[in-house]
This record gives sequence, structure tokens and C-alpha cells, in this order.
Amino acid sequence: MRMQLLHLYWNEFRKRRKKTSLITFAIAWGALSLLLLMSFGRGLSNAGSVSFKGLGSTMIMVTRGQTSKPFQGLPRARRIHIHMEDLELLKRQIPGIALISPEANNSHDLSYRGKESNRSVNGVYPCFAEMRSQIPEAGGRFINDLDQEKARRVAFIGWSVARELFGDTDPVGKELRIEQTPFTVIGVMKKKQQSSMYQGPDSETVYIPFSTFCQIDFQRFLDRIHIRPAHPGDALFMENQVRRVLGRKYRFADDDANAVNFWNTIRDYETGAKIFKGIEMFLSVIGALTLLIGAVGVTNLMYAVVKERTREIGIKMALGARRRHIVMQFFLETFAIFFKGTLWGALIAFNIVSLVNLVPVGYDDFGIEAYLLRPIFSFDILIVFLVVLFVLVFISGIFPALRASRQNPIEALRYE
Amino acid sequence: MIEFRNISKVYKMGEVEFVALKGVFITVRQGEFLSIMGPSGSGKSTLMNIIGCLDTPTEGFYYLEGENVAGLTFDQLSTIRNRKVGFVFQNFNLLPYATAYENIELPMLFNGKKAGARRQRVSELLEMVGLSPWARHRPTEMSGGQQQRVAIARALAMDPPIILADEPTGNLDSKSGHEIMEIFSRLWKGGRTILMVTHDPAIAAFSQSTIRLLDGAVQQDGAAT
Repeated sequence: MRMQLLHLYWNEFRKRRKKTSLITFAIAWGALSLLLLMSFGRGLSNAGSVSFKGLGSTMIMVTRGQTSKPFQGLPRARRIHIHMEDLELLKRQIPGIALISPEANNSHDLSYRGKESNRSVNGVYPCFAEMRSQIPEAGGRFINDLDQEKARRVAFIGWSVARELFGDTDPVGKELRIEQTPFTVIGVMKKKQQSSMYQGPDSETVYIPFSTFCQIDFQRFLDRIHIRPAHPGDALFMENQVRRVLGRKYRFADDDANAVNFWNTIRDYETGAKIFKGIEMFLSVIGALTLLIGAVGVTNLMYAVVKERTREIGIKMALGARRRHIVMQFFLETFAIFFKGTLWGALIAFNIVSLVNLVPVGYDDFGIEAYLLRPIFSFDILIVFLVVLFVLVFISGIFPALRASRQNPIEALRYE
Repeated sequence: MIEFRNISKVYKMGEVEFVALKGVFITVRQGEFLSIMGPSGSGKSTLMNIIGCLDTPTEGFYYLEGENVAGLTFDQLSTIRNRKVGFVFQNFNLLPYATAYENIELPMLFNGKKAGARRQRVSELLEMVGLSPWARHRPTEMSGGQQQRVAIARALAMDPPIILADEPTGNLDSKSGHEIMEIFSRLWKGGRTILMVTHDPAIAAFSQSTIRLLDGAVQQDGAAT
């Protein structure tokens, strides 16, 4: 019986499909907007988090600073430098440091077979690569413990440096000269998105073992210490611990924010993620509002349909239709309009997203296209979409359907 | 079978009250063929609507097959309309988008009859009103007489004991009207109770008895005389 009744409803609905085509378009448009805005928002969010992680994920950078307040009889504005020994001190005194690496850098002349360039050369530990999301291209590797131990003259180079000096040839195994000192290239950095940096992007940098760096470029101070806490949640705690330990050594106040500087990518990442999540939600709300306009249109249409078919409703009531039969019919019609519109909207949205994803995105200069051209659909987007859709179907369908079912049968029969 | 005890119906339109029926007593026995006559506004249609459970009385008691109809919910009244009465209207009231077959099937859909039983019943009824070849046609493709025959078949779909006809020949020429009335006569002879509203004495002549309504009150009860 159900199927037969549904068949009847379907026939009656089909007879009026021309009248519903415009509103179906409105729903399709709304569904399209909602889906696209959600997937582009998610793409934006993702690109944001990827390029945030481009500098490095879950790490704290410690750099030199200047005291901002007097401490124990010492004046303010003293320069605080970081030394190699501090690395051991921090490791010893602070539990929960998973990785720690010094970094010292200087600009040096590079050359390979007559091609020359001047780039930043950085001395680091092997664990640096992991903290800074630096992955070698196939066939290469990063600096390892043995390189560091033996102070080997090996270099890991950014992809821009590789292209600049080596062109199309594979740099791995070739001899790169740094200030006329020969180095063997052991790896090229795989391309990555990077939105924040100091002294240029990683792609334009040459990395060598810290021990080797000390041999070619003597520096009294470290430029930076990279620390990864064992638990990302300890980011702020770690910052305070480092400040406390260094404060005791260099004699500055525990609450002196400028004595040493921190670049806390964990906190940055969290803030950034919140901003992007905010944008994503904002876009979704706009999309939902577009669909809402369509839904209002459907409600309007359904009220008109109910009015137009008052007499038929009366006939059905006289023949023994219960209220739920009437409610069901109009509710299902609303559903059918939404279903058809949404199907078209979703189809178009999926195609647009797939097409846009085919557009190549460059890694060299940090471009806006990485944010705009990588929309994604995910399961939770689908869930949110369906929830919004069903709420709208229900709200826009139930009131006209209830009005239809609550008519007085006699007045409905007399309606012309 | 149908018993009206002091039935009144008052319509309120804002401040104005309109009395459609005042203190009507009617008894219709099973198998009777009763015509209801009277000028426009005399309450004929209101009477029919109350009998058919499309409307409820303001006052008084209505017993249908011994059951008090007052106080039933909409859905309970729907069930009565579905099983106990079949409506035939002056303007046929067929669903324009549905074929003759689908129109006749409709009351059974609301009742949940099995597909096989429905198919058999619809073909029986089409056969009975002589429209078997017209099963797949829509009302707009049929003459008035044919449409009314479809409507009668539809009224009989659930095999109700009572047929309510409101001016069934009002929109038809005399030849078609005559054919329709012959169908009603056959149904009556088959044991059904028929109540029919009409203006036309020639049509009323088909019935067993006649009551006249004037200003909402019964003037003369043909059944009693």
C-alpha cells in the first residue's frame, strides 16, 4: 500500500515539475554554494596548517634578547647571548625535551662549476630536519650522527639552491664549494609550503653539520636553539622552564619576557588554526544562508501548492485519507524538491572541486593559489551538510504540510 | 442504520450566526433509498455532510450503525468515511492527474488493501459501470456521464453500506443522468442504503421516499408516511 500511495504522490508531483523547476534551481544553487564554501574553507584551513608546519611543527625556537628590567643590581638593556654549553644545560635541567638542536648561520659564497651564488649556510644537528619538516628527495638524505661526529664536509641543500647551481643535473654526490671548501651534496630538500621564516625560506638555505660549521665559520654565540617538547601541550611550560634555567645562568628575572626570545610554533599553530577554523565556519554560515533562501522559496511554493490543491485535499479526506496521509504527501514533495536540487548542486560542486584540484600549485614563491586551489571534501563536511539540509527540509516542509492536513474537509471540497 | 436525534448545526461567521439545521430528527433504515429535496440554503448539503462524517453537529446525537459519532477524532472519522460511506458529488471530484483506475483505487490506498485485492476490485467496479476500456484514461478525456460513473465506482471501492449522492445528475444531460440513476437503482436493489440530494422531482422519483427540508428543518418525512 505504501508503495502504491508513494507512486500516486510521485505522479502528482511529476505533473507539476515545471512549476518546481525554478525553485529546484534555487536549491541546487544553495547546495552548491554551501558545499563549495565548505570545501574551499576546509582547503584554506588545510593549506594554512600545512604552510604553518612548513617552518616546523611542534617546536620552540630560542634566540638571543635583551633584558627589559633590572635584576639583582644589574641594569636593564643587557644583551643576553646563547652559547653552545646552554644546550647541555637545558637538556640536563629540563625534563621532557624530546629533541634539541643548535643553529648557527652565516651567508657564504657557493659555487659549482663556475656558477656562483651567496646563500645562508646553517650548521645544525641531525634532529633539526625532523623539527623543521625537511624531507630529502629520493636518492638523498639529511645530515646524520656520523656526519656530526666526524665533522664531515657534507651539505643538504634547499631545492632553490639546487636549481640555481645545478640546473637539471642531480646534485647528490656532486662537489659544492662553500668559500672554496669542497662539500659533498648528500641530499636535496623536498618541496614544501612554508608561510613563516627568518632569513629567507628553507628552500634557499644550505645545511651542514654543526661541527663542520664551527670549523669553517667560528662564532662565539649560537643564533638559535630548536627544542621539541615530548608533549605538544607542554609548549608554554617548556618556554617558562627555558627562561628560568637561562635566567639563573645569565641572571635575569623569570618574568622578563625580552631577555631571550621565543618563537613558539605550537602556539602560533594553535592561534592560526583557530583563525582558519573561524574563516571556515564563517564561509559555511554564508553557504547555509544561501541554502536557507532557497528553503524559504520552497516553503513559499509549498504554501501555494497546498492552496492550489485544496480541492484535491478535500476529495482525499472525503475518501478516507487520514491527516498523516496528507502531511506525508506534502512533506515528501518538499523532500523531493530538495533532493533533486541538492543532487544537482552536489554533482556540480564535486566536479568543480575535482577540476580546481587539477590546477598545479607552485611551491617556490609563497602564493595565494595554494590557499584557494586546494578545496577538499571530507566526511565531516558531508555530515554538516546533511544536517543543515535535513533541518531545512524539515522546517520548510512541515508547516505547509500541516496546514494542508488541518483544513476543514467541507471548505476544502468547496474551494474553487 | 442512520439516526439523527435533535441535530442542529450553527455556522459562526464572525458575529453573525447562521443556523443550517435546527433540531432535525431522521431515521434511515438499512436498504432505504431516500431523496432529500429542498431549496438552496435549506440545509441539504449540511445534512449530507454530517451523515458522511465530513462535518460534525453543533448539538444533538448522530448514531451511525448504533455508534455515536460525536467526539470522534479526525482520523477516526476518516476511517468511517473510508469504510462506511461512499460519496458521489455533483461535480464528480475526481483527481485530475489520476487515471480512472487510479481514482477508483484511491480509497483502498488509504486503507492499506493488498495489491492483488485492489486490482481485482477495481476491474470488477470498472466492469460494473461499463468503463473497462477506459481504465487508463484521465477524467479530462471522458464525458461527464463517464466521469460520474468513475466516481460511483470509486464510492463503491471499499464496499460501504451507505452511498451519499449530492446532486449526482446536476451536471449531466438527461440521458446520462438517467443512466446514472439506473446504476443507483441497481445498487439499491443490491441492498445498499442510498441517500441522495436533488432538485429534480423526476430524479427523486427513482427513490423510495423523500424528505423535504426548509430553513434547516424537516417538513415532511416520506419514510414515515
